[in-house]
Amino acid sequence: MISNEFTGSDDPFDVPNSEDVARCPHCDRPFASAHQRDLHLGEVHGDRLTDDERAAFDAGIEEEHDRLWMYHFKAVIMLLVIYMATGLLYLIVLSG
Amino acid sequence: MRRSSVSLCLAVLLGSLVALVRPVAAHVGGLTDTTVSAPVPTWLTVLTGGAIVGVSFLLTSVVTDHDLIRGVAGAHIRLPGLATLRRWGRRAFQLLGLGALAFIVVTGMVGPTTPTENAAILLVWAAWWGGFTMTVYLLGNSWPAVDPVRTLAGLIPSAGRFSYPDRLGAWPSVAGLLGLVYFEVVMPVASAPRFLTVVVLAYVLVGLLGAWAFGRATWFGTIDPVARVFRVYGRFAPIQRTADGFELRLPGNTLIDDATSHPLARGSSGGDASEDAGSGRATPINEAGQTAFIVALLWVTTYDGLVATPLWRAFATPIVGVGIPPLVLYLVAILAGFALFLALYRLATRRGRDAAETYVSARFFQDWFAPALVPIAAGYHIAHFFGYFLSLSPALLAVLGSPLAPPTELLVIVLPEWWGSIQLLFVLVGHLIAVWVAHALAFELFPGILTPLRSQYPLVLAMIVYTMISAWIVTQPFGAPPFV
Repeated sequence: MISNEFTGSDDPFDVPNSEDVARCPHCDRPFASAHQRDLHLGEVHGDRLTDDERAAFDAGIEEEHDRLWMYHFKAVIMLLVIYMATGLLYLIVLSG
Repeated sequence: MRRSSVSLCLAVLLGSLVALVRPVAAHVGGLTDTTVSAPVPTWLTVLTGGAIVGVSFLLTSVVTDHDLIRGVAGAHIRLPGLATLRRWGRRAFQLLGLGALAFIVVTGMVGPTTPTENAAILLVWAAWWGGFTMTVYLLGNSWPAVDPVRTLAGLIPSAGRFSYPDRLGAWPSVAGLLGLVYFEVVMPVASAPRFLTVVVLAYVLVGLLGAWAFGRATWFGTIDPVARVFRVYGRFAPIQRTADGFELRLPGNTLIDDATSHPLARGSSGGDASEDAGSGRATPINEAGQTAFIVALLWVTTYDGLVATPLWRAFATPIVGVGIPPLVLYLVAILAGFALFLALYRLATRRGRDAAETYVSARFFQDWFAPALVPIAAGYHIAHFFGYFLSLSPALLAVLGSPLAPPTELLVIVLPEWWGSIQLLFVLVGHLIAVWVAHALAFELFPGILTPLRSQYPLVLAMIVYTMISAWIVTQPFGAPPFV
């Protein structure tokens, strides 16, 4: 794999030798989870989905939005922490 | 999607920038060697720079709608029907380049030997490496037209005598770039006009030989490090060449094009990728060594600044004291620093790959995100050279007017104290655009919302490290590199 970094290998994938790889039925791209594959199907091949694939995509998007809410919650906390820490540092340094 | 939430988020971003940048401005006194006491210490300025980059990532994470990201990244205004202008512009630029080369050779050979009075020195360093390079990333890449070596090489047959091994890719230009910057730092190319002229002529000769040996397209498209520097910087620029003229883009967004037109990109089956196929982009994202070249570009500008800091002097003095030749020390430093920057980028992209839980190979991941480093390099270049260009520009104009007998009293602009905060702002803006480019690249490659966001964490951490290094160097007093 190290030598792969120095030569112009054209294979963009590095799939471990295990059997349970979720592959896209249209472009054969491998994914680490069925969830990622379902999302990919809807985003890239959205015009030729079967009903099952469509349902899986919709469920996947729903899950992403649920997780995104939690993500944004954490991001807001992080922002507040950074703001307050920076503000506090300036307060200490400028008054000292 | 929710446009209102996006505009709200932009307002918060701007607000936070103003709020955070202002205290930095209080620091300016520490930038120059004035006696004004700096109320904000350097470490806090540097830390604030890192915090702003982190905050900007958190804020861009609100923009997760792929169509919106693509819409912003792909926004362009076409300027068609300018093919004639382009042809004539090309002729004019070619003449300009040839004229400048002849002018440099003559004034370098017979002009005054004081560097700040010599037109060749001022033209090469202030006008070309400072000013012209800025036009490349701020406006557009005109170097292929200006480059006098390329114009002269047009006179020799374009087919090469030797075939260039493709697997070498950009690696020779990586070595060339590191070599040129090392040479520039340790040799008196910016102080001895005669020597500079010999170097320029040697560079022309090497270029012509290279074009003769490997063919013009291979030499200027793959091997020549200077051409590659301008091509990489040119991808940041708002004016881009297309098949039938020019187009205007938002700064930095052309860097995303290679990704959006890639077969693995999210919207690639949508068909609008092929529309741009003729726009003359030269480098595929998996060209061997291209990523290393971008990292090298970032590093050499840092190196150029680093060796001028008091810390470097303090570090180098005992080493030279025990008998290590300075030339060796500078060589080891440029190679070790490059290896360190590359290792940091590789570590970050490997971690990003792990975080994204993807089967995309580590190398592909590295190459995919490498264009996000270009705005950082451009931001650091302008922070480094804009002031240099401004302060020398009156001398440049005076010397250009009478190159062989320049006025004895040359004006050098002394930059105001607040210039230091402008420099920091350049570094920061470069990083903010880099965060955006990485964001758009992540959303092209990975499905969903959380995977693209996660893939960026380690990269953003690496960018914070780069910001803090650059911001620190910019706040240091400038001195000539010692011992060389």
